[in-house]
Amino acid sequence: MAEVLGAFEQAVLLAIVRLREGAYGRAIFREVQERMERDVAAGAVHATLVRLEKKNLLASSLGPGTPIRGGRARRFYRLQPKGLRALNDSRAAADNLWHGLKWPLKGYV
Amino acid sequence: MSVSATPPGWAEVLLRAVLTPGDFDSVSGDLLEQYRESVHPARGGRRADIWYVTQVLGFVWRNARLWATLLAVAVIARTAMDWLVPPVDFHARANVSTLLGVGILLLAGFWAASRSGSFAAGPVVGVATAAIAAPIEVLGAVTLLAGWHDPMTMAAIRGSGGLEEVLTLPLVMVVPGIVLGTIGGLLGAAVKRLRTA
Repeated sequence: MAEVLGAFEQAVLLAIVRLREGAYGRAIFREVQERMERDVAAGAVHATLVRLEKKNLLASSLGPGTPIRGGRARRFYRLQPKGLRALNDSRAAADNLWHGLKWPLKGYV
Repeated sequence: MSVSATPPGWAEVLLRAVLTPGDFDSVSGDLLEQYRESVHPARGGRRADIWYVTQVLGFVWRNARLWATLLAVAVIARTAMDWLVPPVDFHARANVSTLLGVGILLLAGFWAASRSGSFAAGPVVGVATAAIAAPIEVLGAVTLLAGWHDPMTMAAIRGSGGLEEVLTLPLVMVVPGIVLGTIGGLLGAAVKRLRTA
C-alpha cells in the first residue's frame, strides 16, 4: 500500500530532493521555511526527519562540522527508494483529486 | 554573521537533556548555525536568544505533550466525577487518582531519560508535563463549572475540597513533577545504561 504523506512530510522530503548533497538539518529547516512561507519550529522538522527515517523513507549519515556550528557534526539526509515512491504517490493522489477542476477555483460559492 | 555569538548556556543544557546523544550534536549544531548566521545578525542578541530558547522549548514540548494530555485528562475526569457523582467517602477515589498522577509523572521521567540517556531529562519532562497540563486542567474545571453550577453540584464542589483546590492543585503539581520526574529519570537513565552495556 502507498505511504500516505502529510503536507509537512512532503515539504521535508521535497526539501531533501531540492538540496541533493547539501541536505542537512539546518538547510532542510530553511528550505521548508521558505517554501511554506512561515516560521517553522526546528523541533517539528527534526521530529519529522526522525519519523521518516524510521519508516525507511530516508537515510542519514554524519558529516564534518564547521566553525560556525562550534565544530558540531552535520547530519545529512538522502531520499530512499521508498521515499521517492511515497512522494510520487502523494503527487498522483493530489492530481487525482484535482482532476477536471480549473485552478484557482472560482464561482463555486 | 558572528562566530562568537553564543545562545544561553542553560538552554543548551535543557536541549542536551531531552535529545539522544546521537541527535544532540547535529541538532544543537543546526540551531547554533541558524542562530549565528541568520537570527543574531537580523534580530540582535536579545531577540536571537528568545528565538533559541523558543526552539529548545519546542523540543521539550514534544517530549512532554503526550504525558501532559494524559495527566490533564486524568485530573479533569476525577474533578468531573467528584462534582457530578460525589461519593460518600473520597479515599478510594483519591488513592486511585493519586496513583494515576504519580504513575504518569514517573513514566514521563522514565521514558524521557531512557531515550536520551540523561537522568536530567526526567525532571525537565516531569516539570514540563505538569506545567503544560496545568492550564488544560484549569480550563477543564472552568468548563465543567460553566455547564454544571446548580445547587447540588455546588454542594458537591464544596464537599470535594472546594473550587480553590481544583484551581490551585494544577500549579502545585509542578513540585511532584520535579520529584517524580527525577526518580523516573534516574531509573530510565539506569535502564538505558544497562541496555547499552
